[in-house]
Amino acid sequence: MHRQKRIVITGLGTVNALAKNISGFTKALQEGVCGIGPLDLFDTKDFRTKNGGQIKNFVPREYIPKDFSLKRTSRADQLAFAAALEALRDAVLYPLPGQLKEKVGIAIGGGSGGLYEGENFYSQLLKKGSSRARFSSLSSVYCASSADYIASALGLTGPKTTFMTACSAGGTALGYARDLLVSNHAALMLAGGVEPMCRITYAAFNALQSVDPDVCRPFDRNRAGLSLGEAAAIMVLEPLETALARGAKIYAEILGYGISCDSFHMTAPDEKASGAVRSMQAALKDANLSIDDIDYINAHGTATPVNDATETKAIKEVFGRRAYAIPVSSTKSMHAHTLGAAGALEGIVSVLALQKGFIPPTINYTRPDPLCDLDYVIEGMRKADLRAVLSNSFAFGGNNTTVIFGKYSERGAAHD
Amino acid sequence: MINETRHDLKQRVVVTGLGMVTPLGVGKGEFYERLFGGQCGIGEIKSFDTKDFTSHLGAEVTSFSPRDFISAKNLRRMDRISPMAVASARLALEDAKIQITQENRDRVGIILGTAFGATDVTVQFAENLLGQGPAAVNPILVPNTVMNAPAGHASIELGFRGVNTTVTHYAVSAEIAIAYALEEIRRGTADFILAGGVDILSKFYYESLTRFHALSPAGGGKEGSRPFDQARNGFVASEGCGILCLESMESARQRGRDYYCEIKGFGLGSSICGPTQWPRESDGIEKTINRALKNAEIIAAEIDAVCAAANGGRDLDIVEAKSYENIFKDVPKKPAITALKGALGESFSGGGMRACALALSIKGKTLPPTLGLVNPVRPLNFTVNKQQDIDIKNALLSGISFGGTYAFLVFAGRDGQGA
Repeated sequence: MHRQKRIVITGLGTVNALAKNISGFTKALQEGVCGIGPLDLFDTKDFRTKNGGQIKNFVPREYIPKDFSLKRTSRADQLAFAAALEALRDAVLYPLPGQLKEKVGIAIGGGSGGLYEGENFYSQLLKKGSSRARFSSLSSVYCASSADYIASALGLTGPKTTFMTACSAGGTALGYARDLLVSNHAALMLAGGVEPMCRITYAAFNALQSVDPDVCRPFDRNRAGLSLGEAAAIMVLEPLETALARGAKIYAEILGYGISCDSFHMTAPDEKASGAVRSMQAALKDANLSIDDIDYINAHGTATPVNDATETKAIKEVFGRRAYAIPVSSTKSMHAHTLGAAGALEGIVSVLALQKGFIPPTINYTRPDPLCDLDYVIEGMRKADLRAVLSNSFAFGGNNTTVIFGKYSERGAAHD
Repeated sequence: MINETRHDLKQRVVVTGLGMVTPLGVGKGEFYERLFGGQCGIGEIKSFDTKDFTSHLGAEVTSFSPRDFISAKNLRRMDRISPMAVASARLALEDAKIQITQENRDRVGIILGTAFGATDVTVQFAENLLGQGPAAVNPILVPNTVMNAPAGHASIELGFRGVNTTVTHYAVSAEIAIAYALEEIRRGTADFILAGGVDILSKFYYESLTRFHALSPAGGGKEGSRPFDQARNGFVASEGCGILCLESMESARQRGRDYYCEIKGFGLGSSICGPTQWPRESDGIEKTINRALKNAEIIAAEIDAVCAAANGGRDLDIVEAKSYENIFKDVPKKPAITALKGALGESFSGGGMRACALALSIKGKTLPPTLGLVNPVRPLNFTVNKQQDIDIKNALLSGISFGGTYAFLVFAGRDGQGA
């Protein structure tokens, strides 16, 4: 069997409802802060629900130096670039050395892209008719524009790819970036996801009646749906040898990932949980780990009645009796469901858990559900020395992605 | 049950099935006969009124009956884009003689590229919401507003449950999807992967392209698709789907299946470019071609044919032609170059249809012609007027997108490996 090149994470960056940088995000996760509350990005008076995990007071120029033009950029582009800059600085790679730039690639899990700005265009179109609408404002409306903007701004000329598989796109981008590094198509990858809040997405989830009007309560008996959020989450991934050679701080290792499909229904998960089971199994196999190696599961845990019961069932099927011994938490209770960015944001949560030695809690939990009977870390964060963390993302279309991160050690994570 | 992973980055990967829904017909028989016979899929747009627009031509899918391919129950839930993908996926599986069973369904997947997805549904949704408010929103539309809907519908209709993902990176969506599928087969995460691209025309989308001054005759003159021609004046918008079935050469051999071609490698890259701008310099493209050649372990002189990205746009075609001039500068026997967007138009994820055409070219030892090309921008070895008989050992499938993103793949004939 091919001995796989080891890929490590050497930089992190995020902007989300809890914080606009990694240190603030870590603190909020440890303290169990809830970032979900009334939205003011747009008027919610006609909507059934009013809450969400919004990034408040985001001033792009506080994060993006003046040398970079913001012309024709969307909120998504700006959030993603702010996160990418933090990740590069964190990896001590900003500014990027000239000779490295052509081998640096970017893989982004996208979602609504520039739809927040796109809505202004559509409104204009409806009011004034198409002859007077400014179509040029659509140039950054699609989610691929964020990767284009970041790559052009930083002068990267490596691979550039955007995934759009709704709520699993961020996780897929991380796995894909790992693959491109293993097969030598890039020397360093910026990988992650970005999802801005917008009316169209908010209306869509409201129309499906899957939003809790209050705050989401993952795994709680009274859970009544998800809370929508927004975020950008970017990691720097590189081969272990280059990270060691340049003396980089190594957060964790990306050990493997798995993708599966429910082949069941466009918006509802397969209640037999087969898709979720297979993505977790595929990730374990890719990582060459056994169920005994996983010390924490960062659940998809959206707090919809079906997801949490199905995911619990899937975890029990994969881990058997050990399922009850593994802490499982849904940090969506704090940062809300960030859709296309979720896999990447929760990837960052997993990496921080490994590096700082803690398990973030599931907050807003009050009443146990007999269908959800695992250890959901409801009492607040725990200190724990973790070997490997498994992070789930399940999406519309039946697209499931599971990513496994390991604590970095010379001999190999989880094999000491 | 999960089989033992055969993780081997050197594992050889072949194309054993093709499926397509295109402006030149449905399925490989029609597509081959018309495309290679020099027919053009471009005509006056019929599915919506273009009288207020500056352009009127398009390459529309007209002779497609979704009911022939999709169960009534599932078809009810689909919009316009998904049936093209589902039918193409079904055709590709049938062509590869793969029956989805309980035993193999977890080892069959799909990686699909789409540049813009269901622009018709998205606009309808936006108009309902922003015109009439949240209460007017139709929940039935929601699942089809996401770009991964076509791949999701394909998995539901056809019953495969393996790797499933959707790439959206403008005009290289399909090429990146095929490259990813190649990686996944090499990694052993699936036995069969359907890969390609799908996009559709809609009135809103068409109007947007006219307003970006992208469509012919934006540069003045007569409307039409003229890749690599000096008189090109913008591209002609199109739609359609092309999907290939990839598997390891070992798997094809074990099944006793012949194959169209091998996919030997790929290169990905980009250059600095403004949003919606095409690159002005050819160095990024050349670098990416060299990456693809290196990955496929061949040199430029071993390339016999190029399936070009040129679309008749003012900026793309010249920069692409310059790239080939430089890449093949020291090569005595210049490769034959064909630009299929002369017949198929520009659908952005048309790399799927072009990849199918290239697979047919390699198997059939004949290259389809570039339509609309009279006075080339550069003196390259273009295949024009009619199909050209050619023994293709190695060929390039070119993917170039506005925004400066590139994906090149190396396809090879059965003797391409030289071993």
